[in-house]
Amino acid sequence: MRRRQADIATDVEAFEVFYRRHVDAITSFLARRVDDPHTVADLVAEVFVAVLDSAHTYRPGLGSEIAWLYGVARNTLSAERRRAFKETRLTDRLGGRRPLDSDDVAELEERIDAESVARRALQAMAGLPDGDRAMLELVVIDQLTVSEAATALGIRQGAARARLHRARHTLRNVPGIAPFVLEGMR
Amino acid sequence: MNFKEHVLMELKAEIVARNEARRLRIRRRLLAGAAVAGIAAAAAVAVPFLNGAGTPAYAVAKNADGTITLKINEFRDPAQVEKDLAALGLTADVSYVKPGSRCAPDRGETDAGPSFSKEELASKDPEVRKRINAAIDNSPNGKAFKMGGGEVRIRPQHIKPGQTAVMEFTENEDQTSGPEKPRALWQFSGYLVTGPVKPCTVIDDPSWNQMPDPKTNPEAYPPAGS
Repeated sequence: MRRRQADIATDVEAFEVFYRRHVDAITSFLARRVDDPHTVADLVAEVFVAVLDSAHTYRPGLGSEIAWLYGVARNTLSAERRRAFKETRLTDRLGGRRPLDSDDVAELEERIDAESVARRALQAMAGLPDGDRAMLELVVIDQLTVSEAATALGIRQGAARARLHRARHTLRNVPGIAPFVLEGMR
Repeated sequence: MNFKEHVLMELKAEIVARNEARRLRIRRRLLAGAAVAGIAAAAAVAVPFLNGAGTPAYAVAKNADGTITLKINEFRDPAQVEKDLAALGLTADVSYVKPGSRCAPDRGETDAGPSFSKEELASKDPEVRKRINAAIDNSPNGKAFKMGGGEVRIRPQHIKPGQTAVMEFTENEDQTSGPEKPRALWQFSGYLVTGPVKPCTVIDDPSWNQMPDPKTNPEAYPPAGS
């Protein structure tokens, strides 16, 4: 199993299977957090490049493939946000954009619209401490189990439960949010 | 074209390019290891030389041209090498790993190195080989580390502030090798990491036992002492 996971970084066919299995989930994951079609498309590529870099870190005993992949996606996104912040201060970044045709843009915009409720919920969580918010995001918005979310964040299950409990408690009285955080979204 | 297919195509090309770069690095390490076979054996004889304190007489030498020479046997004591290099003003991270293993490649921000096509890498044309070797020698890592003659030469003038000289060394217990009994004698890997360096996570290195065929790659088996 570990062997197979390591192969996705070197075996083109193994990688293609892995990519096709997860590309839609990753596109949705990103569309819940970013509302620009071009940025979503670029980030999909970045996440899978990060998969090539870190395929050897996957440990099958510690959780599902998707939990590991969401962890990689979160790290990619926060690296990108740090970089975007730095670059807008230094220069205007124009290059590096992947050309999208009108079908691509339409598909991505549809996906971004479909995730608008999730994006609003994420905004409502913005005030929580980072660790608690990350836990709530993965469980409530991305629909991972508690143990999968713990894997994605690289923390113990006990700590994960404590963070989730704290985050739900804090958001309990925010109007419009209570149904999400208490029951899950879908 | 659908962007998902486009991204997939880019990523597949990236995998192929990375595989080629890795093969090149492994091959270069094997060639470098084989080339110093005779001298490495001689150095092993010199190890019982002890000074009065009962410790091996290490000599990390700084040369007149500013380069630093490290003898192969010095890698057996990574902590001492790091200390000696620090005394010369060089930040180094040295790992001594068992045959058949190596450090996981994600130790920090490092230069990707030059890349070549499959055809170039397989080519026997001396002009192509010369061009490949020149590209490696002119890369940031190639400028900072030179191997050969049973020693590693570090050139601090090619190491920027904030960079660490990361060196990984593997040595076979049996230091005899030849066309009848091919084996890697030692393997050295040197590169620069910018910023923090992660500790060495030891992983399997199946390429340790993959030796070039002496019939098709006689250059990997030079006579002892060359």
